[in-house]
Amino acid sequence: MTGPDRVVVVGYVPTPRGEAALAHGIDEARRRGARLVVVNSSLGDALVDEEYVQGAAERRLRSELTASGVPAELRQPVGRDVADALGAAADDTGAELVVIGLRRRSPVGKLVTGSAAQRVLLSVDCPVLAVKAPPGREEGPPAEGL
Amino acid sequence: MALSELAGGFADALTVTNLLFALIGVVLGTAVGVLPGIGPAMTVALLLPVTYSLEPTSAFIMFAGIYYGGMYGGSTTSILLNTPGESSSIMTALEGNKMAKSGRGAAALATAAIGSFVAGTIATLLLALVAPTVVDLAIGITPADYFALAVLAFVAVATVLGSSPLRGLASLGVGLYLGLVGTDVLTGQERFTLGIPQLSDGIDVVVVAVALFAVGEALYVASRLRRGPVQVMQASGRYLTRSDLRRSVGPWLRGTAFGFPLGALPAGGAEIPTFLSYATERKLTKHPEEFGKGAIEGVAGPEAANNAAAAGVLVPLLTLGLPTSATAAIILAAFQGYGIQPGPTLLTTESSLVWTLIASLLIGNLMLLVLNLPLAGVWVKLLRIPRPYLYAGILMFASLGSYAVNADPLDLVLLLVIGLLGFAMRRFGWPVAPAVIGLILGPVAETNLRRALAIGDGDLGVLVDTWFSRVLLVLALLALVVPIVLRAVRGRRATPEELQEGSGLRHREPAAATHEGRGEQ
Amino acid sequence: MSTAAGAGPAAGNAGEDAGRHADGPDPAGPHAAGPQGRNTGELALTVLLLALGLYLVLDAANIAVPGSSNTLGPRFFPYLIGGVVIATALALGVRVLRGDRGPADESEDVDLTAGTDWRAVGVVAVAFLAHALLINVIGWPLAVTLMFAAVAWALGARGIVRPLLAGGITSIVVWIVFVKALNVALPGGTLLELATEWL
Repeated sequence: MTGPDRVVVVGYVPTPRGEAALAHGIDEARRRGARLVVVNSSLGDALVDEEYVQGAAERRLRSELTASGVPAELRQPVGRDVADALGAAADDTGAELVVIGLRRRSPVGKLVTGSAAQRVLLSVDCPVLAVKAPPGREEGPPAEGL
Repeated sequence: MALSELAGGFADALTVTNLLFALIGVVLGTAVGVLPGIGPAMTVALLLPVTYSLEPTSAFIMFAGIYYGGMYGGSTTSILLNTPGESSSIMTALEGNKMAKSGRGAAALATAAIGSFVAGTIATLLLALVAPTVVDLAIGITPADYFALAVLAFVAVATVLGSSPLRGLASLGVGLYLGLVGTDVLTGQERFTLGIPQLSDGIDVVVVAVALFAVGEALYVASRLRRGPVQVMQASGRYLTRSDLRRSVGPWLRGTAFGFPLGALPAGGAEIPTFLSYATERKLTKHPEEFGKGAIEGVAGPEAANNAAAAGVLVPLLTLGLPTSATAAIILAAFQGYGIQPGPTLLTTESSLVWTLIASLLIGNLMLLVLNLPLAGVWVKLLRIPRPYLYAGILMFASLGSYAVNADPLDLVLLLVIGLLGFAMRRFGWPVAPAVIGLILGPVAETNLRRALAIGDGDLGVLVDTWFSRVLLVLALLALVVPIVLRAVRGRRATPEELQEGSGLRHREPAAATHEGRGEQ
Repeated sequence: MSTAAGAGPAAGNAGEDAGRHADGPDPAGPHAAGPQGRNTGELALTVLLLALGLYLVLDAANIAVPGSSNTLGPRFFPYLIGGVVIATALALGVRVLRGDRGPADESEDVDLTAGTDWRAVGVVAVAFLAHALLINVIGWPLAVTLMFAAVAWALGARGIVRPLLAGGITSIVVWIVFVKALNVALPGGTLLELATEWL
């Protein structure tokens, strides 16, 4: 692992779009010979945040990262929103690419909630790769059985 | 005889309006049971002033639904999040969360919910059977006996709840003082009103309860706000397998057997029976190796005990007018608010109200099973509400309920002052529930004491005139002295943790919680 | 006994448990935040309790007792409670001076290891007091909206617009439900009362 420190940052959430982002992130890192920084953040202002991976889900994610063969690191900052956390990780590592998962949203849904993806696009300096979940596997419940 | 009256109760409870109120009650109850910072006692207190325009029957059906619902909600968060909202759910969290961790969350939720249903149903039926008998016995009760009962309830509540008997007594003293403020009923003299005219009517129960529970909790949370989410387990795996069911039935029934009688005693609350049930199941189990790792018996028994105790608490409440938990105390205040005097005569004077209430408890219990078993995950979603909004919202409702009492902003200032007291009490481990019980039961105790002494021409001897009062006062004395002696002998009070014999009741992970803030006890 | 693998602090054993409890106050537990400050704090609360007991006993002497005095008057119970409170305060005071500390109440949203955020407590208390004084002036919905936003801000909500909006919408909905449907007396403020006259 010598040479220039190339970094791909992935914004991960335990949903199909997050998995899609991770898959693309791993591919990109492999192709570029870069290491992967996976960011899974939580605003931390509620007792429950199902997008924040802990316990078994975290172990699964870590083993998935190990299995990919790409050098990878998981960061789980609490207390900042997704856009902030991704921006900070990108700045911090001098990332050459940020991969995020996009929600499929209706125009109305777009109006109602501010788009985190949009804020990432605006705040991150490097190129941003936005991927969507494979069709048919959109925003299911983040955790089956719940 | 009880059965025919119960049938009459069902006829009244099965009207559309009453079913609707039962549904509102159980939904609200489950929600506040799941949510941190708010519990059934406070919810009923908040709803008191705004429900005076309702029929008493409808209001009590709703309150009863909230009371039972709070426990179901509590067990869901105990199992999936390991955050028991009340001390009686600690045991459920212990094994239940382990089960969820090892992928048997659905089975844990199912045994808890079905166990609660079974225990709640049996115990409510027992309540229906026992209540008339207790009333018959209680008809002959003298004011001195009643005073002795109240003293026992005071001492038991103060020394059993919380970590330290002295702190419980301190809290009780504060509550008794708050109950004194106002005009003396028997002589019409003002006491401790500081010359403030609004205080001559006394400090409203709603204000004190909401202040201690809601405002105190909000301030306390503000002072030490947790940041970051806790881990939520999945309700994964199968619901009860045949072997799960076989292993659950015994604990359900034994838990009921512990919970109902102990809940019915004026020694208060559901905590002790859940500890006893857990210890028993641990001894009886054929799978001792599973305890501490998620044994289903350790969920089934305590959960059943918890709900049976909740029904048991209603026995002294409905037959004697004696509340032994904070929620029961608020319900007693609700009776008083409607001008109904709870006590041995309640069953005759308000017969239809009581039987409708009992019938609707059974109906509500069934609703809770349906609402909670398949929907546990939906309830957990409530916990996505960001803390700032949750507590701001709780304070909003605190303001609504307290202002509605007298439409006087002074009540809100009082609310804040007592809320600051509640904050201090939480900070130093003074339990809050004894204060609420002291406030509500104190005046009743005083009236009976003075009546007793009036009958006895001022001779204090009348207080120990009957065997009943002697036994009760001796028990009260024991409840007061034994913990202190034990502490002196062993350096600490005999806590229910002991029952566990080191089975892993930890100094819980930060996620865990005790009941005082929510006040279910 | 076997302890659960990977259960972390959860897995205790009998010896450990007994040891932990035997020495009474538990300085190593999660309750140990700021032991010194906590102790003086509880002492102050205990002194307050003592003062309450003295007040009960002293002020009880001022309660007027009407004529017939062969029965127990309105003073006896206050004396009794005052006595119990004084005794409790003294005993607790001795305990606290000896170093006994009550475990701070645990709660789902409380981090016992965190230091006390007095600023947040202050903001919440002042916001609540202000809203109490404002209700009769600007109406409940507006007063409570301001309180809601201030409390949310003190507890870490971001922005100004969102807390105000959330508080405003909730308070108006709650006001309409409770005032119009349940006839609770709650001043709505001139504007809202005019706007909902038709309801």
